[in-house]
Amino acid sequence: MLKISKLISLLENALFAWLGLALILTLGGSGILLPNWLELVGRTHPLLLHFPIVLLLLGLIFYWIPGIRDKKEIREIGDLSFLAGINFAGLTVVAGLILAQEEYEGDALFWHQWVGIGIFVLSILIYFLRNKSFPALKPLTLVLVAGIFITGHLGANLTHGEDFLLAPIRSDKVELVAMSEAEIFRDMVQPILEAKCQSCHKEGKIKGQLRMDHLEGLKKGGKSGPFVIAADFENSLLIQRINLPGEDKKHMPPKNKPQLTDEEIEILMEWVASGASFEQKVEEADPKSELFQLASLKFNTAKTYTFDPADPDEVEDLSNFFRKVQPIYPESPALVVSYFGISAFDPASLNDFKKVKNQIVKLNLTKMPLAGVDLKFLSELSNLEELQLNFTDLDPTQIENLIPLENLRSLALSGNQLDPESLEELTKLKNLQKLYLWQSGLNDTQKENLIKALPQTKIDFGFDGKGIIYPLNPPKIELEKMLFKDSIELIISHPIKTAEIRYTLDGSEPDSISSPVFKESIWLKKTEKIKAKSFAPDWKSSPNADAVVMKSGITPTEFVLKTQPNEKYKAQGAATLFDQIKGKNDHSSGNWLGYQEEPMDLEFSINKGKAPKELALSLFYNEGAHIFPPAKIEIWTFSEGKWTSMITNTPTQSEKAREARPEVLEFELGNNPMEKIRVRISPVSKLPKWHSGAGSKGWIFIDEILLN
Amino acid sequence: MEKEILEQGLNLNRRKFLSRLSLGVGSAALGSLLIPDLFKGGSPSEDAIMDALPHFAPKAKRVIYLFQNGAPSQFETFDYKPLLNKNMGQELPESIRGGQRLTGMTADQKSFPLVGSYFPFQQYGESRAWISSIFPHTASVVDDICIVKSMHTEAINHDPALTFFQTGAQVGNRPSLGSWLSYGLGSENSNLPAFCVLLSRGKGNGQGLYSKLWSNGFLDATHQGVQFSNSEDPVLYLKDPKSMSRDERRKMIDQIAAINDLSFKEFNDPQISAKVQQYEMAYRMQTAVPEMTDISKEPDSVIKMYGPDCLVPGTYAANCLLARKLSESGVRFVQLYHQGWDAHGDLPNQMIGQAKDVDQASAALITDLKQRGLLDETLVIWGGEFGRTNYCQGKILPENYGRDHHPRAFSIWMAGGGVKPGIVYGETDDFGYNIVENPVHVHDFQATVLNLMGIDHERLTFKHLGRRYRLTDVSGKVIKDLIA
Repeated sequence: MLKISKLISLLENALFAWLGLALILTLGGSGILLPNWLELVGRTHPLLLHFPIVLLLLGLIFYWIPGIRDKKEIREIGDLSFLAGINFAGLTVVAGLILAQEEYEGDALFWHQWVGIGIFVLSILIYFLRNKSFPALKPLTLVLVAGIFITGHLGANLTHGEDFLLAPIRSDKVELVAMSEAEIFRDMVQPILEAKCQSCHKEGKIKGQLRMDHLEGLKKGGKSGPFVIAADFENSLLIQRINLPGEDKKHMPPKNKPQLTDEEIEILMEWVASGASFEQKVEEADPKSELFQLASLKFNTAKTYTFDPADPDEVEDLSNFFRKVQPIYPESPALVVSYFGISAFDPASLNDFKKVKNQIVKLNLTKMPLAGVDLKFLSELSNLEELQLNFTDLDPTQIENLIPLENLRSLALSGNQLDPESLEELTKLKNLQKLYLWQSGLNDTQKENLIKALPQTKIDFGFDGKGIIYPLNPPKIELEKMLFKDSIELIISHPIKTAEIRYTLDGSEPDSISSPVFKESIWLKKTEKIKAKSFAPDWKSSPNADAVVMKSGITPTEFVLKTQPNEKYKAQGAATLFDQIKGKNDHSSGNWLGYQEEPMDLEFSINKGKAPKELALSLFYNEGAHIFPPAKIEIWTFSEGKWTSMITNTPTQSEKAREARPEVLEFELGNNPMEKIRVRISPVSKLPKWHSGAGSKGWIFIDEILLN
Repeated sequence: MEKEILEQGLNLNRRKFLSRLSLGVGSAALGSLLIPDLFKGGSPSEDAIMDALPHFAPKAKRVIYLFQNGAPSQFETFDYKPLLNKNMGQELPESIRGGQRLTGMTADQKSFPLVGSYFPFQQYGESRAWISSIFPHTASVVDDICIVKSMHTEAINHDPALTFFQTGAQVGNRPSLGSWLSYGLGSENSNLPAFCVLLSRGKGNGQGLYSKLWSNGFLDATHQGVQFSNSEDPVLYLKDPKSMSRDERRKMIDQIAAINDLSFKEFNDPQISAKVQQYEMAYRMQTAVPEMTDISKEPDSVIKMYGPDCLVPGTYAANCLLARKLSESGVRFVQLYHQGWDAHGDLPNQMIGQAKDVDQASAALITDLKQRGLLDETLVIWGGEFGRTNYCQGKILPENYGRDHHPRAFSIWMAGGGVKPGIVYGETDDFGYNIVENPVHVHDFQATVLNLMGIDHERLTFKHLGRRYRLTDVSGKVIKDLIA
């Protein structure tokens, strides 16, 4: 068995072997031709280097902890650890020197190599001096620690690239480059090379003899050929290598390094395709090209403003309920102003903008009443880019205030009547990109001339609806109620102001010539069937609007229902029938009495001498909900002690389902004296065959009985 | 003795305390290194979040979202698949379906026959986008819109899918997209709500809509969507009661404010001043809403553009016109819902009706915004909660078939507000079943919408129940290719 002391002496002797090997390799330099298998040893350097770091530092602890070296066993552990560490350091140095024969050079390598060798030598020194009372021993151990950290860091820089260590704590706030400033190479290509290529192609580690950290290197190319040739994919090694399949040995970046993304490959290829220029600006590229598209996503296309911001407190003071003054976003000096509230508009408030006249880039005064308002202040808004003045009744002469606004690029004047002079003024706005002139009273020649005078401007004249003929909507008949006692007001209206409304009261079809035109409200004094229709130029006439108003002059003194309505539809009982309130277009609205199982049977008394001549029943039909016209209506009158049957009527039955609708059935009672009337209305006993509920009982709904 | 014990205890405590203290300070310092916000009150305060908004220059200032509720079929709108017509009636290959789950409505179906569009397609505009014959008006504005054919979602039934689209989660109780924008950007016009909701219903098969879709979730109630009425008074109870003049109303509000002020001084409850603000806003809305809805300044051509239906309150066309007016008046987010797209059967017939309802007015909205110079700053979105299957549900006839729900691929369009105009983004396979190029997840869509509004979707957060929530939950990437 190997004794500890034997092991120690073996390790001590091995130190000199490493030292010798290191000496040969250092002195021989690149003059030595190494066999391939030694290259393998060289590449174990990044693995081996971790052992000496840990073991040496562990060993050093035993020099620093006071009193720890007093115990022999413990001291030996420390010494053994340190000794093993020096051996690994030697091995690492040897492997490192072999690795350095590969494609590394430059300052970083120089310092890494020599500090590494220094560590090795220094630790040998410390080891042999450990038990002598050598005064500089402790300071030397500190030097050793420093050396370990320095060479470790330098080595990491060689492998992972410079900045590797500090990158995470360095501010990642990248100043967003403005699109107008961006250069294709500097701002699009170079960042990719820096991130994905330079760790191996730069001073210190010039793989393939290609340097990418300065322009000369890129222009010169590498061992295998030129880096890029303008618009030549075949001979540009950059394009060749990045497009090789990932498993290919020559594919770049190498397998175990971070790969290029699809977008990065696209940028590199587009750059070469577009001429591989090192100076071209992005904006000089074809706006339709992929490169330009990619760039517009990458760079700040939003305009950046260089003028000074206004005092934030002043800006805040300018906002109120009817005016919003805000920066585009919190850090932007540019202000956007919008006005709201037509009736609250005060033209004098426009003078408040003096303090922020240089900061306003957008102003919206849409719909504010600007007739006769002096807009001189506009000419001072030197940075104004967008102005909205739609539907403001703007005085066209005010347009001259816009001439000094060199930054104005969008102007909305829709809904304002322009005159020839103001059009002339508009043609002076050569910097304008967008102009909105819908509903501005321009004829075709004026439009054409304007387009010619402003070739750079996109002018939108909007939709004029010419040649499109639709039927108008029916007019709206407004009646407070359908039933009245003495008289009622009739109003007919149409949402389109220019529409003319004609009406009839006798149920005949209104026409555009002979029927009266509705102008102001009319008072109706008897039952009328109203029909109204609207007419307008460039429109087809509307369908009819219909309504019936019913005069109900007589109310019964007493009434009693002999049969009760269905539990769910009993409204206020018999009183509902004489309450002069028309039910809504919905049988469950609570204004309707519904019968299904038995007929409605009603008896009521009339004041003497007020015998009605007419009786009308206000019903509701909705076949889909099983509500049909009654099967039979019977009316009796009572006079001088006996009942007389006056009417027996069977209304026409429905033959198909129609939409829910009210219906009025009128009956003449003649000139007969009467004290009481009895009305009996029977629902359909069996729904017809065509109905989905064929065979079941039908319903009747009634909300009013009118007597005249 | 006791004294000594006590003293020792104290000493020990002092020593312990000091040593612990140093340890504590050390670990706290370490903690602050590892968690940078440790000493900033846990997470960035709401004020800090708000002060940073918008995070960058917004491209869009406002959104109008034309939600097609019930899920319109992509195969009869924008995703042209001639193969489905060619292979009409043939079985959907299992290799294409790839085990996709089915709804209860077709899970029992024995066969999944492919069915092609009843409507012919044609190419339009510079993008040569395919659009079906029932959307002629949309086709006429094709150069202004961006069609995304590669949307996909996670839910397969209406309510979870809608909720997912609107709130970023399938379960309820999260804030809606509009609420997030109201929270993040506020209203432009302080006299109108920042988030308005307009509903309409087509004749096709409809699906329920619940107010949770425009809910503020855990955000302040002021960010809730305000549902407008379908009647002629879009906002109810704004008119002064009969016999009360505006001056009297003003005096009344001042009196109430004075009383509320007293209680505020006593209790210092911020809810009280919030209440006063609400009274004030309602008072200002009394003028702002009639000004906004006033149609008298609208030329005839506007009515012709949207179609005469726009004069009938409660129709989709009327809502589109109202949406433009709201948006023009500075409402941050206008959410429309049009019901009736859920065509499980009788699809061609239902699609004709639905398309007739929405095609003209949707296109008119684009044109109308454009001619006022507003399209550049207004984002318009058109689309449903998912797509429909390429196979038939129920009976199959060329002119009468149905389609079930399909979450894997569907089409929407966007326009204005910084979206690239005149492009078609994404592609599906020849069966229209799977996405083969540029998929856009619902969270990606939401992240993109927020980006257009100048918001980084990862930074618009709200802390609730100990967790910071955001619209896109834990995913979502901005689809930069959609941004102009």
